[in-house]
Amino acid sequence: MRYLGALSIALSVCCASCNKTQQAFTDTPIIECYLNAGDSLSMLVTRQIPFIDDPDYLNIDIENLAISIQRNGVTYIPTSLGDGRYSIAEIEIMSGDSFNFYFDYGELPVLGYTIVPTKPIDFTASEFEMEIERLDSTTMPQPGMEMPDPIDLTWSNDDNSYYLIVVENTESELDPIRDFGDAEPPGNLFRKSPTNSGSDRLSPMDFQYYGTHRVILYHVQADYAALYNESTSSSQNLSNPSTSIEYGYGIFTGMNADTLYVEINEY
Amino acid sequence: MFRKMLVFLVLSIGLYSNLIAQKTYTFNSPGNSCYFEYMLYAPDEVYERHLRPIVMVVGSAGDAANEVFEKDTLRNQLAFYNSLFIYVPCPAVSPTTRLNCLEPLKSLVAGHLRRSQNCFLRIQDRSIKRADLERWDLQRAFVNIQLPENSDSEFVLEEFTDEYDLEEKMGGVYYEEETEINEDNLPETGRIWRTYFGPATQYHFKLTGVIRDKSSHESLPGARILVRSTESGAISNADGYFTLIDVPSDTTTLIVEILGHSPLEVHLSPNVNKNLFVIELSPSIVMLKGVNVVAVREDVRFTDNEHVGAIRMTPKKLEVLPNIGEKDVMRSFQLMPGISAANESSSGLYVRGGTPDQNLVLYDGFTVYHVDHLYGFFSAFNSNALKDVVVYKGGYEAKYGGRLSSVTELTAKEGNQKKFNIGGDLSLLSLNAYAEIPVGDKFSSIVTFRRSYKGFLYEKIFDKFNTSSSSDTPQAGPGGRFTSNAEATSYFYDLNGKFTYRPNSKDVMSLSFYNGTDKLDNSIEIDGSAMGPGGGLGGAGFSLNSTDLTKYGNTGSSFKWSRQWNSRVYSNSLVSYSHYFSDRDRSTERNESDTTGTTNTVKNGIFENNDLRDYSFKSDIEINMGDHLKVETGMFATYYDILYNYAQNDTSSVLEKHNMTALAGAYLQTRIKLFHGKLHFVPGIRATYYDLTAKNYFEPRFAFTWKLSNKLTLKGSTGKYYQMVNRVTREDILSGSKDFWLLSDGKSIPVSSSDHYIVGLSYETNSYLFSIESYYKELYNLTEYSLRFQNRPGLTTVNENFYTGQGTAKGVEFLLQRKIGKVNGWVSYTLGQARSNFSVYSAFDYPANQDVTHEFKLVALYKYKRFDFSATWIYATGRLYTAPSGAYALTLLDGNSSDCFTVTTKNGLRLPDYHRADISVNYKLLAGTDGDRKRREIGYLGFSIFNLYNRTNIWYKQYTIVDSDIIETNVNYVGITPNLTLSLKLR
Repeated sequence: MRYLGALSIALSVCCASCNKTQQAFTDTPIIECYLNAGDSLSMLVTRQIPFIDDPDYLNIDIENLAISIQRNGVTYIPTSLGDGRYSIAEIEIMSGDSFNFYFDYGELPVLGYTIVPTKPIDFTASEFEMEIERLDSTTMPQPGMEMPDPIDLTWSNDDNSYYLIVVENTESELDPIRDFGDAEPPGNLFRKSPTNSGSDRLSPMDFQYYGTHRVILYHVQADYAALYNESTSSSQNLSNPSTSIEYGYGIFTGMNADTLYVEINEY
Repeated sequence: MFRKMLVFLVLSIGLYSNLIAQKTYTFNSPGNSCYFEYMLYAPDEVYERHLRPIVMVVGSAGDAANEVFEKDTLRNQLAFYNSLFIYVPCPAVSPTTRLNCLEPLKSLVAGHLRRSQNCFLRIQDRSIKRADLERWDLQRAFVNIQLPENSDSEFVLEEFTDEYDLEEKMGGVYYEEETEINEDNLPETGRIWRTYFGPATQYHFKLTGVIRDKSSHESLPGARILVRSTESGAISNADGYFTLIDVPSDTTTLIVEILGHSPLEVHLSPNVNKNLFVIELSPSIVMLKGVNVVAVREDVRFTDNEHVGAIRMTPKKLEVLPNIGEKDVMRSFQLMPGISAANESSSGLYVRGGTPDQNLVLYDGFTVYHVDHLYGFFSAFNSNALKDVVVYKGGYEAKYGGRLSSVTELTAKEGNQKKFNIGGDLSLLSLNAYAEIPVGDKFSSIVTFRRSYKGFLYEKIFDKFNTSSSSDTPQAGPGGRFTSNAEATSYFYDLNGKFTYRPNSKDVMSLSFYNGTDKLDNSIEIDGSAMGPGGGLGGAGFSLNSTDLTKYGNTGSSFKWSRQWNSRVYSNSLVSYSHYFSDRDRSTERNESDTTGTTNTVKNGIFENNDLRDYSFKSDIEINMGDHLKVETGMFATYYDILYNYAQNDTSSVLEKHNMTALAGAYLQTRIKLFHGKLHFVPGIRATYYDLTAKNYFEPRFAFTWKLSNKLTLKGSTGKYYQMVNRVTREDILSGSKDFWLLSDGKSIPVSSSDHYIVGLSYETNSYLFSIESYYKELYNLTEYSLRFQNRPGLTTVNENFYTGQGTAKGVEFLLQRKIGKVNGWVSYTLGQARSNFSVYSAFDYPANQDVTHEFKLVALYKYKRFDFSATWIYATGRLYTAPSGAYALTLLDGNSSDCFTVTTKNGLRLPDYHRADISVNYKLLAGTDGDRKRREIGYLGFSIFNLYNRTNIWYKQYTIVDSDIIETNVNYVGITPNLTLSLKLR
């Protein structure tokens, strides 16, 4: 009997599969939401840029989504600010808070979850000051030229969670260490790669300008750290953007930061 | 006078319609120069039997017919037991005057006996010389003439028995047709002369024999030996041996059928060797009058009474099928129902929704792990080295194991055991040569070598007919697309050898080896300066050189000892070694220039290395317990050593796995025949202990065939199948997924398994076969590898990138085959579905990569004199793929933005449907003079056109991300490609 069953199943199922529609593009929302301790909640919802000429976008108004956000089990309804931006001004994000969001997008429920990590502990630097010789485009570093010691940054990381160092020059007028020639001057921000260790290092070559620098140590979630991973691998293998979001793409992630300052002076 | 005699001859035939007997007859009327009395005599006293040798004896001068009869000694010899003697008197004066009467008399008698062309003449009068014979052209009328000067020598039996023995001396012989013959009316089988017409002397005995090729003495596996008028029979094993347990008597007739040879009726006699009865079959296509064997052979067999879902094909068939440059066994199997044909880039077989790694490929007993040459356009197997190929499409027996879907078993030629032979093929793609060297009568060898070359014609044809392109328009921002071209170029070589030693009639020892290597270079150059204003680089230019260099190959060897212990027991043991390696180095060098003219060079790379070693031992034993029961058992053991290394972007390893383990086991199966052979079933079990998981795996199997009538057969099979060594798919959206071999570890890569359920019905006549087979397969614990999902950068262990899933495959195959006739071939249609379920890709079932809904194949063959024409047409639903579908940008904490790409649902897109027509014609090359009826076949000249109407079939789509832009490349299969093949052989 099973053989006859196999025959009939094969016939019926094969025929049923003939009319399956293909999906070249799925209108899936993009969420961008950083839940940084001490800030209020702000979320951006956008759409993908399709690779096909006439994508089938769902008939959904991105500015009027029925989004609900739960903090530690309490539900909030964010206010639409236009252009897909939403905010909840009354919330001040705290360390350890857990957040969920939810909205319907077409027939699918888009949802995500994150938790705000703890504030970094024991964040300190080996030096708070560095002296760097001024260079111009015609002056190459001479052999044997003495370079200042790097600044070692350390913090406590017992659980191998992810951290990211971002360094910002706070001067109102930027004083370049090097002559950039015709090249466009770099911005006043630079970052290190995400790490799951308890230390990082700022070398003299990292700095582009003299002055006061704010060194921010972000305690981030794995999904955020993964964003940096994609940029290095994307040219070889297309990786799905890491996300904790279901039926959507983007980032919905908690973070917490600590800050210290270092001075870069001319030698 | 000759006209007068012809008139009389016609009149005489009318008078001769009465029964002839041993007596004296009158030839012509008084007054005619050929008026005389002659005498007929048949030692077996059967005067009305057709198709028999005629021996004409002309006496000494003055002898009357009865005196010639009395003096003759030939008629008492056993060799002439089935001959018809004509005794002709010799005039006392001028004996040569009688010579002009001999041919008309022979024609008269032979005409009555229809097709009796084996006529021999013995002249006893010493005054007749050879020159006298020439005057009446008697050499043409008689196969052999014995004159008195050599009358002391005896007639050689060989010269009397079979004109067909020419093949033994000359190899393949082509018989020029004298008149058109309607092949459709040819008899089902050919016949061999009966040499014994006496009573049987032995009843119900065992007969062990061997089937071999007449011209080369190669043993022939897979031949069906049937006892006429009974249901009993046997199939020759890999060494050509067979045993008939209960032969009714020693005058029984056997019917022998094998692909590529004319079927034959063989008459037993008390004199045959019952312990080693040698049956020799002729390879020639003989469909002509005037020769003893008159029948049509089959070259492809879709049905087999003992196996379900088996297809057997003779490599000889490959010559007449269209090809792209090489006659190719695996490519030809892709024309069969249930085996996907839309994969020009894979010689590996996609059998019934299975993948090529789920198909066990055995070459002389050792496992071959990679069967592709030249991107898969050609198989690793040189058809000049092959003797026999069988594919079991599913539900296969316990004798085989280690794969989820199917088995392909290839048996190499042993080489001509009689005479040195050399041959070769030259095509626009490759040079292929072989040599067969026998030493004594116990040792034979064959060595074959082929190598592709990029000659002038190859380049010209490829450049002219093969282009790959895509035509997407560039788009702004992330998602803009540019186009580029890719073309496949490479070379390959392979070397086969087999050395066979037969120390006695019971033992065969053979050493077989294979070595083949491919070097592939698939480089792409992209020039971004030609892109439109929508490009994402703001007017800057770039060039991209992608080096894609792959080298892979197989080395394998086996030493096999087989022995026919006695009529009941046969064993077959082998030790083997198989090594597969694949080194892939794909590095991309990107030169980017900004508006100031400054050029930056960025270089990335993929380094992929797979190395597999397989050391095996196995032993099979067959025990014939009787006509109704045969027991097959055996044991096996394999030691694996498999390494895989994958590095991305730089030389740091993304994945490195090195496993070594062993497995061992045994199987037992029985072939049981009931109800006079109408019901045939094969229960069996296979047990394997796998060291890496330290577990036992049991695989019960069951198959049956039930002959509902002479023409209608119901068949079915089921079984459990495990696979320990897996070719894991590494998903790569951008440049096409790749595979690598790894051992199951029971953890991240579980042991995969499948359940098969197959049922089919076939209706077969002498000329036609209609078959329908349905299959349902469930597959468990399949493994894929993907780097698409990395949620824990830096912390993700390599094992987390392996994903486990399930699958199903189901379908129905229809086949209509015209087996014989001037126009023959087949039409097949397969309705199939293959689904996968890997939760990482989708929460639901999705179509598997190899899913093909509809597949239609038409194969037509036509033979006209020395020409063989063939045409094939294939249509298949387009294959599935996953592609980048969109992009978005995220603002990061450092103020920069990160461009991200999304992909379609897994296998959410289908390529356009695949279809292609090929045609070919072969012209036989013959030695000798035009007009000779028998000429030796020394090769053929072949011309074929692949992809006749230049259909652009897409192989796969390749995507490259440059900054925020996606470059889509259609890598196409080859367009219209003509090919010339010259094939020559010594014999």
